[in-house]
Amino acid sequence: MNENTESFSPQDRQMKTYSLVELVKGPTTMVDRGPDDSIFAFPMVAILEIFLTLGVILVLLLMSLTVNAPLEDLANLYETTDPAKAPWYFMGLQEMLEHGHPTLMAVAIPTLIVLFVIAIPYLDNSPAGAGIWFTSKRGKRIALFSALYALIVMPLYIYLDTSFPIREIYRGQLPDFFLNTVVPALLMVVIVLLPLLVLSRYKPSAREITMMLFTVLFTSAIIFTLVGFLFRGPGFELYWPWGMPEGYSPWDNL
Amino acid sequence: MRKLIKTVTESRVWRSFFRHGWPDNPLDRSLVMTTNIFFHLHPVKISRKSLRSSYSLGLGVISVIVFGILSFTGLLLMFYYVPSVERAYSYILLLQTRVPFGQLLRNMHRWGAHLMVIVVVLHMARVFYTGAYKPPREFNWVIGVVLLILTLAASFTGYLLPWDQLAYWAITVGTSVAAYEPLMGDSIRAILLGGSEVGQEALTRFYAFHILIIPGAIASLISLHLWRVRKDGGLAAQDAVKIEPEALQGTDNE
Repeated sequence: MNENTESFSPQDRQMKTYSLVELVKGPTTMVDRGPDDSIFAFPMVAILEIFLTLGVILVLLLMSLTVNAPLEDLANLYETTDPAKAPWYFMGLQEMLEHGHPTLMAVAIPTLIVLFVIAIPYLDNSPAGAGIWFTSKRGKRIALFSALYALIVMPLYIYLDTSFPIREIYRGQLPDFFLNTVVPALLMVVIVLLPLLVLSRYKPSAREITMMLFTVLFTSAIIFTLVGFLFRGPGFELYWPWGMPEGYSPWDNL
Repeated sequence: MRKLIKTVTESRVWRSFFRHGWPDNPLDRSLVMTTNIFFHLHPVKISRKSLRSSYSLGLGVISVIVFGILSFTGLLLMFYYVPSVERAYSYILLLQTRVPFGQLLRNMHRWGAHLMVIVVVLHMARVFYTGAYKPPREFNWVIGVVLLILTLAASFTGYLLPWDQLAYWAITVGTSVAAYEPLMGDSIRAILLGGSEVGQEALTRFYAFHILIIPGAIASLISLHLWRVRKDGGLAAQDAVKIEPEALQGTDNE
């Protein structure tokens, strides 16, 4: 040091005043973020929320002015309706009942699905790619492929299982437990895990595996719900929604 | 006129209501958000990314709005409804024919209930596909799944209340699924229905669940859900940084 005590003298400036402390993986706080891209929440957020509220009220009001909520005859314990259906969002469960033992189809499988959905953040816990639709281009392709797969396989499964029910054909020849529980469970496992087998060849990330599993299950749930709600008529038989017999309309059940 | 506005807004009464000046400057715009109960859940400044409608689709906010509409219309319906097997149905008829806007009120509550189920399911799908469940938001995802289940429960318990054929048989079918639970299936159904069949006991219980227990739980969990959104740094869109797997691998060599 020289006698000059002024801290920013030209001599001082030539001395090395920095050093490498540590190498850290990952982006710094500023990298890729650009300048602060935020605005005051007031009044923008207030305006958006008021308009959204008015919009939702308007949609509900228009719907309520044009379509009346259904009301059938007084409840009667002795007169079953045909078909007797659960509310539409449980029609997926009721449709499942048609394809195997109730404890498997309406209790075990739905419980497993709910547990899987709850566990998603703990199965895929890397913070990378959060806040981006489908995380990456490849993720988008995986989601699309999984949805298409379920869209084709699940209706086919429902149709084949209804038209050629293995459980009915071999009834009495093979044990009930095998026909109603083991066979449907195996079928479901194969159908759901088959696309994962394909994916495993491409070194998928945890995010991509959960995305495929979630998409297959989510799409299947929608298909089962739609089939149960729209395609099941009197006697819980399969019909086209527009070709229901006896003047039955699935929409009356809403 | 300007003088009048000034006198009013500077009066002690006005100042006791609003603890901020006219929000045309950064300080007062901040105070609007922090001193107002309706806004205090929001941050003072918000990133443009999280306001983008193509990101969130506004589904979370819409869920809260529909829940609000359902609470309001539900409260009005309670003025006319009696949870009694003998009187429930006739009071619904009375509501529809004699009460001004009674039919409209019931329609809005019914269609609102269906809308809420759909919006909440879509909200879950949005959060999943944008990867917004990733750390640190894991537990908020779990709260969200519980909220979805509670939404279904709220809709299901409300389904019985009109006590018509549709309600009666839908609940009979729906609760019979619960009986397939191994070991304790029958007792679960008995707890739900207060007996072995859908009757007055079931109607009383479903009413209590529908008007108080479930909505109370939903309201509390929504508060927790929104509070955690804030504590976890707002929507995941804000901290979305594009990280391609290649980029992460590249840092290893440096």
